[in-house]
Formats: sequence, C-alpha cells, structure tokens
Amino acid sequence: MAKVVLIGAGFAGQTAALYLGKALGKDHDITVINKYDIFGYTPSWVWVGVGQMAPEKTVFKLKPVYDKFHIRFVQGTAKSVYVDDQYVLVDKADGGEEQVPYDYLIIATGARLNFAGTPGLGPHDGYTTSICSLPHAVDARDKFFQLMERMEKGEKVKIVVGTGHPGSTCQGAAFEYITNIHKVLLKRGLRDKADLMWLSNEPALGDFGVRGVHIKRHGKLIGSDEFIRAIFDLYDIRWQVQTGVRKVEPGKIYWENYEGVEGETEFDYAMLIPQFLGPGFTYYDKDGNDVTSKLANKGGFVLVDAIYGLPWDEMAHRPEAWPAVYQNPTYKNIFAAGIAFAPPGPISRPFTNPNGLSITAAPPRTGMISGIIGRVVALNIIDLIKRGRMTHSERMTEMFAACIASMGDSLWDGSAATIVIYPVVPDHRTYPNEEGRDLFVTDMEMGLAGAWMKRMIHSTFMHKLQGRIGWQLIPE
Amino acid sequence: MSSETFQITPKEKKMMQNKIVQVWRFIVLNLKILKAVDHSKRS
Repeated sequence: MAKVVLIGAGFAGQTAALYLGKALGKDHDITVINKYDIFGYTPSWVWVGVGQMAPEKTVFKLKPVYDKFHIRFVQGTAKSVYVDDQYVLVDKADGGEEQVPYDYLIIATGARLNFAGTPGLGPHDGYTTSICSLPHAVDARDKFFQLMERMEKGEKVKIVVGTGHPGSTCQGAAFEYITNIHKVLLKRGLRDKADLMWLSNEPALGDFGVRGVHIKRHGKLIGSDEFIRAIFDLYDIRWQVQTGVRKVEPGKIYWENYEGVEGETEFDYAMLIPQFLGPGFTYYDKDGNDVTSKLANKGGFVLVDAIYGLPWDEMAHRPEAWPAVYQNPTYKNIFAAGIAFAPPGPISRPFTNPNGLSITAAPPRTGMISGIIGRVVALNIIDLIKRGRMTHSERMTEMFAACIASMGDSLWDGSAATIVIYPVVPDHRTYPNEEGRDLFVTDMEMGLAGAWMKRMIHSTFMHKLQGRIGWQLIPE
Repeated sequence: MSSETFQITPKEKKMMQNKIVQVWRFIVLNLKILKAVDHSKRS
C-alpha cells in the first residue's frame, strides 16, 4: 500500500487529490494537508473585492469531498519535510504536531505572499489592499465601500491598482480588478469622482507576464498592448508600466522605473499584488542536515526537471527548459505543482535598470496552469504506483490558458476581455511564427460572450473541484 | 513586432452587446479552448 501526501488544496492540489482519490483512494493512503478546511476559488475573489459576489459563493468544505474520494484530511501547516525518513512535520490546526509519512509527496502550496518584500504593502502591516486571499478580498471590499461613501459625499479620490513589487506576477487579476472598479463606480454614478490608475512592472501594457499576445484580425496585426490601451482609453484609466514599487507610505507609493527614475504616486485606495514566494519549507536529510538547497531555490520554489541558469535569450528558444513532469531531480518521489514549482526563468523579457533594480514580471502559474500540472503529477504518481514508470508530461510550452477579465457580472449587459493563449510559453519550434503561438487558438476580444465564459468557468470549476458527477469531463 | 493602432469603435461597442454576435463568439471561444484542451489531454 503506497502513501501519497499532498500539501495544499488549491487548484493544483485539489485537482491532483481528485485524480489520486479516484484511482487509488480505496487501495492506498492518500492524505491532503491544508491550512484551511475550505477550498477557495481564487479567480472570483476579484468580484468579492468589489462587492459583486458573496464570499461564501467562492468556497466549499474540503472534508466532505475527501470522504467521498477516500482521502484523509489533515488540517494544519506543513513546517518541514524529512526527505530520507519520508515524512512531513505538520503543526495541526487543533494543536500539536503530526508526522505524516509518505512514499510520494506533492507540494502544491500555492504562493506565499511576500508583503514584507515591499515596506508598507498589504492589508495587515501596510496601507494597500489585496485580493490574493479571501480575507484580503473581504477587507478590500470593505475599504472600497468606505471609499465610495466618501465619494458619495462629493470627495474626489485617487485609486491605484497594479503590482506592488518589481518582481510581481498575476497582472491579469489586477487588470480585472481595476476594470470591475470602473464598472461598479459607473453603476453607482461615482465614476467622475475617481481618478483610476494602472501601475505595473510589465515591460509593456498587456504583457501580463507572458510576453503579451498578438493576433490577426481583418488583416491587421493587433497586439495586447494596443488592445489593453484601447480598453483603458475607453474607460478613462491612466496607466504606467515598466515600474517597480519600492515602498508604500500612507497615501503615497514610491517607485523606480526602467530609466532608473524614482518617483511617487498618491492614492486614496490602492490594490497592489505582492511578490509571490514558494512554500519556504525546511528540508532535512536522515542526519538532520538542512538540504533545502537541493530542493528549493532562493525564493522557496521547488526545483524540478527544468533547465535552470540559462541566459534568457537561450531559454526563450528552448521549450525543453520548461519542466515536463515536475519532479525534483534529487529526490524523485517529490513533485511540485502549481505556483510551488521553480520556473526556469521569466516568460517576459527581464530588465535591470541603471540602479541595478530588476523590474521583471514573474511567470503566471495560477488557475488553469496549476490545474493541468496537478493532473499531470497525479497521473504520473498513479503510473509509478501501478506500472513503475511515468507516461504523462506537459510543459508550459504545451499548455493553454484563458484570462477572462470581467467588466461587470451581468449576463445580460456585462462584458469581459477574453484572452486565450496557446501555448502559455511561446514555442518557436512548434509554431514557427514571430509569436511562437497557435494563431487559431490564441485570441483576444471583448464583449458579452466573455461575461458568459467567466460565469461558466466559475460554475464548472466549482462543480469539478467538488468531484461532482462528470468532474473528469471538465478540462482543467 | 509592430502592430496597427487598435481602437474600439462605436460599431464594435454595439457588436460587443449584440446577443446574436455574442452567441457566435461564445461558440468560437469554446471551440478554441476545446482545441487546446484536446492537445493538453493527449500529453
């Protein structure tokens, strides 16, 4: 009987748990360790953050799902991993510690939010809001409502949305948040009271950490920079890219740009995405030595079967630099899925300014990408247990992703910008065009259809991740 | 890569809310995703 342990129950962990539970749950030990007893549907926290969706509609209890799939659930925080003795040390939520033994370990913890990386950032010890966790989104909503009360009394305000660290990712979520703020203010008749500004570390508008997108429409080549600029023009949103936020003080954001110029932006309300870090566990060998350097990079992300250390220009033309099976090369029974794995480098071109500050959008690995990796890792562990060899692989140069930025949630007159990218990481060998992508699938458009897509994806993912009937038919 | 300047024209704004056009775009978007998923599931 094999023991499979998953740390984390986000998109990657939950997807992997369902596949493992279905295939192995009755005959093997499957255990999920998670800090919370609920699953949270991250993409809809954008709606929670503007008061357009009740928080409880974005969560469900994990235990009933795991009971159905014969999975053991340990609520607690994983602290360290003993790689030779093969167990995870957990601080349990109800007190005490537990050693959870494994034969195969999947680390799928999601992101550790590094608010400390930018002084003054974040809702706890800082002056900005966040939509990166459900409590953060609720806090962002409450502060946004307070702001609207001030606006209703006639006050004019400055709202800044974007990235809060020179190395942040998830610009898509921030973009969606600013367009939703625009829509809510418009609906409340308050739009003329707000100066909306986009502040981001992207090399160009619409880059989203994936080197942007180009599509052909009516014989014209349209870039995502033009597309997003047109939306911002339409919505009267000011923008500034190539900017790394260094510090936040009450009402003031301090930044540096590509030219090395330092400046500040005033705000009454700001939602800035922090830097993401990896799990940050300590790993020990059988003698109690710290072997973390064999398992994780400086950011705490788990090292897997990627080619690390390549110059960016070389990496950008070598699809095999991206991992295929997400397996640690030293400890082959340890896998990482979702944000937890260490990518070989950024997808967007990195940049260091004259002051030596790296302003580089980190590669997005959330949502659909996390789900796909969770599936690949789970199917390979099932393979290893049943057949002794892995048969599944999928690099980010083979994955698709859809970024649907809603602008109002109504199914009758709502709208959304839909950007479908395939593959996520350009592959110039398979797609020998300038874009390095499939130009039939890769698309971007704006309209009511996007609002329908967004709602459909929310409902189908919540259905799938609860392991309800037909869950396997719904793609990650 | 250079690109033509893109603007959202009043005509395009109307199309974005035209239910028949948007049903068609919804179908097309799903087909595109299914094509990508088809590849993904075969890996």
